Amino acid sequence: MSKKTVSLMGVASYLPEKIVTNDFFAPGAGTRRGMFTAPTTRRHVDRDETGAEMIAKASTRLFAKLALDPIRDVDILFTNVAVPDQAFTGCGAEVAHRIGCRPRWIIDLHNTGCVAFIYMMDLARIIMQSTDARGALLCTVQNAAGRVFSDPEVRLKSQAPVPGDGCGVGYVAVSDVSPIQSLVHRCQPEFASDMSASADDGRRYWQSGTSPISIRFTDDRVASIIERGNRIVPEIIKEACTDADIRPRDIQLLVTNQPNPIFLRNWREALELPKEVHHDTFDMYGNLFGAGIPINLEHALAQGKLAGGGVLALGGFSHAGDYTAAAIIRWAAP
Amino acid sequence: MKIIEAGALQGIEGLVRCEEFDREALGERITEMTHTVYPHEQVYGPYCTIHAHIECPPEKVFAYMANPFCLIEWTYSVRELVATSRPDLYVGVDSGKTPIYCKTVSHPGALTVDYHCAWDQGDDLWMIYLNRIVPAETVLKRPGSVVIWTNCRHPYYAKNPFPALVKDPKREWVGDWWPLFYAGHSIELSNLKAILEHRHRHGLPMGPRVEEA
Repeated sequence: MSKKTVSLMGVASYLPEKIVTNDFFAPGAGTRRGMFTAPTTRRHVDRDETGAEMIAKASTRLFAKLALDPIRDVDILFTNVAVPDQAFTGCGAEVAHRIGCRPRWIIDLHNTGCVAFIYMMDLARIIMQSTDARGALLCTVQNAAGRVFSDPEVRLKSQAPVPGDGCGVGYVAVSDVSPIQSLVHRCQPEFASDMSASADDGRRYWQSGTSPISIRFTDDRVASIIERGNRIVPEIIKEACTDADIRPRDIQLLVTNQPNPIFLRNWREALELPKEVHHDTFDMYGNLFGAGIPINLEHALAQGKLAGGGVLALGGFSHAGDYTAAAIIRWAAP
Repeated sequence: MKIIEAGALQGIEGLVRCEEFDREALGERITEMTHTVYPHEQVYGPYCTIHAHIECPPEKVFAYMANPFCLIEWTYSVRELVATSRPDLYVGVDSGKTPIYCKTVSHPGALTVDYHCAWDQGDDLWMIYLNRIVPAETVLKRPGSVVIWTNCRHPYYAKNPFPALVKDPKREWVGDWWPLFYAGHSIELSNLKAILEHRHRHGLPMGPRVEEA
């Protein structure tokens, strides 16, 4: 029996209202270049804005766009929230309650960061191909900008202006409308410990203390992280192209995570794609972590990209390179 | 301890030194300069440098390369070298019937062997292949030699300065092939490596093995 064809049916996003400009950060933040190039603006979540609320807002838009019935159409629910609402469990059950669905599977993913959306697509596909489940809601939330990088001390760090908050959701279903033609992901376990959340006073994040938690990359590995970031994303996108029997230059819309403009430039150059094919919102929204792919995809489609349908490529890497993923989708004209 | 004299660098624009650029500023700059891929023209446009490790001691590599007749073994198409009336200047044929003039300039202390060449005439030797042989033990901690070969894009590559000397009007100019020099030079360096490694490995005379035709 041939495997069921699974399609990405649509995406929707929600951006927090609060727009933060560069004067919020250390003096000169707006003139930084390289890995810590600051976007012109980014959004920050408020203290009391939860990941579950953000997902509910984005999902409501998605359900309206695709005319979905939450009870009937959501068999599987995935969430990935950068800074989880609760310490002990993910927000999937709360999301289900808020949006009024009764999924058989709720999976709160806490890995694959910036490529969580692609990883969820694969897991959803596997579940749908091996059960009678027909539809999956994939939810990604980036809220580290407001929750971590707006702290009065942390916001003065050089990496603080880069992240921005947002929520992107997508709907994947058994369908041949916009089929996922290939999907590859890989874990590079050796890079897992090159990024960590830590406090300057050395306390564990669950211990009490006065110094704030921040996210940092192992300093002596920065050159190596840049090298691997430059290399591994084009590599895995090329692999997805080979699996889909296309060449990278056949890509009509490329959407990736957006850590900084340097990586975006280097990935595009390595794939020999013109700037207009690689859509990003970095200067407006900053590094959206895992929410970047669905948010950028919705933004690109809203601007009329792929209006006639075509080859859509998704790709990226997470954290300091621990996961990479890419997918090729034959996007249908609406 | 020495320090720079006061004002020694004054008026020199564009220097990047730690006194003016801290680590963070340097980091920004070098990150921007580092790409995943580089266009061929950017890497091999104005200069073409290639390199190879050769399993053969540097002194043997030097002795071989410093002998002008080695060119008729390892180059793709330099052949029939004969001495001219001028000392150290030889003339042969390249690419079939083109006269090529070559002078080998070597320095045993520096382990450099430069081939100064030109098509059609021997008065202005402008095609210069610069070779430096480095003991691999010092740079790679392994036996053998590293050969670094650089060719600079002399303006004559763009246009033949002596068109009157061309006998065959259909002949292509050597400089038109510059975009293919990385590949062409690499093939020849690979020939050089194969010959030297074969003879050294089997304890044969290193050559060049030439005889009077």
